[in-house]
Amino acid sequence: MSAINRKIWVLINYISLGMLLFAFYSGELAERSAMVYAAIAFAFIIGLISFIMVHIRTGLWKMVHSKVDKLDERQIQVTHGALRHSYSIFTILALVILLIIALAGGYDDANLIMIFASLLYLAHTLPSSVLAWTEKVV
Amino acid sequence: MNSRKLYNRISVLREERGISRKELADRIGVNFQTVGYLEREEYNPSLDLAFRICEYFGLPIEMVFSTEPMKPLSQEILEQRKKMGG
Repeated sequence: MSAINRKIWVLINYISLGMLLFAFYSGELAERSAMVYAAIAFAFIIGLISFIMVHIRTGLWKMVHSKVDKLDERQIQVTHGALRHSYSIFTILALVILLIIALAGGYDDANLIMIFASLLYLAHTLPSSVLAWTEKVV
Repeated sequence: MNSRKLYNRISVLREERGISRKELADRIGVNFQTVGYLEREEYNPSLDLAFRICEYFGLPIEMVFSTEPMKPLSQEILEQRKKMGG
């Protein structure tokens, strides 16, 4: 997969996560209609497909989650860099999201659970997303 | 600290020996993509890996790696001969 395609799939993956959260949030505000369920299902399927394309098919997920003794020196170096970047990105995003929740309010328990689940997903996928974004060849 | 770019002849030497990136990678104990990165000079190997590569090709380190762009091997041999007075 070319570098540009990988970047597009990374964007699709996180946009679908945003769509999923939005569909869930609007469903909580309004009646849970068939339309809302369809939007949630659509976002979930797109998210799943993009997850497979970015993280599984490229082997980046396996690389990031491998033990150090299974990687060569370049892989250790790039994985370390990706983890370092992910930590910074995640911290900033988590702070911004927590701030929005604190200021805006109005989120019920179900929405908060979805937001925290999304943050966990983000924390878990960011290192391989960073690699998918930065590596020239995978 | 920014390290200097290292130039190498890995690609030429590998093709001379008629082996694939995968085979070379297996011999020197790295992923085949890392061989690609080394050949494109996008990654500077550690001293240990550089020695492993040289040991595999049976060449001194200065014949495989350099901090300056590498001349073709034929030119280098010619210059060596001239130096030796041949």
